[in-house]
Amino acid sequence: MSRVITITSGKGGVGKTTSTANLGTALAMQGAKVAVVDADIGLRNLDVVMGLENRIVYDLVDVIEGRCRLRQALIKDKHFPDLCLLPAAQTRDKDAVSVDDMIALAHQLRTEFDYVLIDSPAGIEAGFRNAIAGADEVVIITTPEVSAVRDADRIVGLVEAFEKSHPRLVINRIKPRMVSRGDMMSVEDVLQILAIDLIGVVPDDEQIVTATNRGEVAVLDRASRAGRAFIDIARRLGGEEVPFASLDEPQGLMDRFFGMFGRRSTR
Amino acid sequence: MSSLINIKGSREGLRLQLDETVALGDILEALKSQLEGGSQFFNGARVVVDVGERTLIGDDLTAVLELMRQHGLQADALVSSSRESRTAARSAGLAARPVARALSEADERNEASFIQRTVRSGQVVRYQGHITILGDVNPGAEIVAGGSIIVWGRVRGTVHAGALGNREAVICAIDLQPTQIRIADLIARSPDGPGERGPLIARIVGDQISVGSWEAKR
Repeated sequence: MSRVITITSGKGGVGKTTSTANLGTALAMQGAKVAVVDADIGLRNLDVVMGLENRIVYDLVDVIEGRCRLRQALIKDKHFPDLCLLPAAQTRDKDAVSVDDMIALAHQLRTEFDYVLIDSPAGIEAGFRNAIAGADEVVIITTPEVSAVRDADRIVGLVEAFEKSHPRLVINRIKPRMVSRGDMMSVEDVLQILAIDLIGVVPDDEQIVTATNRGEVAVLDRASRAGRAFIDIARRLGGEEVPFASLDEPQGLMDRFFGMFGRRSTR
Repeated sequence: MSSLINIKGSREGLRLQLDETVALGDILEALKSQLEGGSQFFNGARVVVDVGERTLIGDDLTAVLELMRQHGLQADALVSSSRESRTAARSAGLAARPVARALSEADERNEASFIQRTVRSGQVVRYQGHITILGDVNPGAEIVAGGSIIVWGRVRGTVHAGALGNREAVICAIDLQPTQIRIADLIARSPDGPGERGPLIARIVGDQISVGSWEAKR
């Protein structure tokens, strides 16, 4: 059964695109056929994060308006041939797409892939509505900040109003040291407000920034703590019971040692 | 509260029932004072207008809708037994239905609405009677009641009891840390910094909203 999952957040800049790229790659690493769709029409990003920008010929709007076939617009990933990207249009805006278009597109992708991940634009307007229109499931990304949590709460309400199944939550960029000092909202603080199922906690990781700038995703870097968190989330999406990693700071050398041998320490 | 105008909750939301016997001028007068008196309650609400047997067409209909619009009230539908009224309403962009009135005229202001869920940011719960919530009221959410508000959960959003002018209304919650608390025409905001924990009750004492522990007020 293929699944269409929309990644959304309300607030901008909390890591939707990075999460989509990493989860898509992690699912492909596990052997699934995955399509990632950039639904942020007019502000194309997902291709850049995945390092595929220079391969774009056609985009989502071209598919919807019939200028090309879906196959022609899908771009194969550099590392995993079963991972494909459907890029957003750069020169159009969200009005070029309707809710019905997105539902039809999701149906079409569903026939060819195990997972279709849709990267939603920020906000709660038409672009967001388009992005969740064809989804079976919704994953909400937030950071442990009051404003991001407030927007995530609004999104939960809207997702429920659209009668999607219960959304699940990823808390991104948590800084364990700040949490233990009481300077940052903890996982529990966030869950107390949002009261939805948690599917992952991603520690703040500077390597994500450098990886993203190179067009590489963190899950390919075994030393990346954020990358490992995304791999865990992908496994949970697949239905596996994966215990939540402790948020303590990395164990340093030993951690990297295990990483070199391609083995993830048991957490 | 004018007897010419009746506000009721129904499955489709608020229903504004306009007396069907007196002259329209009186209705407009009564509606105006009602809307001005309860402006906090009505602002942004969508309602069904029930005119009963009255035929409300042309300028009369426009006058009623315009008066409502000025007070932030939007009419979604018109209920009338007159066919001309319904046709006029439809051409004004409203839904229209014939009268199907339940005859129970019990005092609906004493009725309560029971809500069992988390009320989230951006969501508004509005009811002309009391509101009981089993769940949390998150920051950014709004609860507006004609009567009292009881929350079996945490209150972090904005709560407004007695929004139709009832100064006897109270607000109580297991954990009451609202962004803002309003009773009738009074407004109080929560103190900056962490407030008092535990079950609290807010009510008007003198000319102020007073918040105290549940125990002390019993």
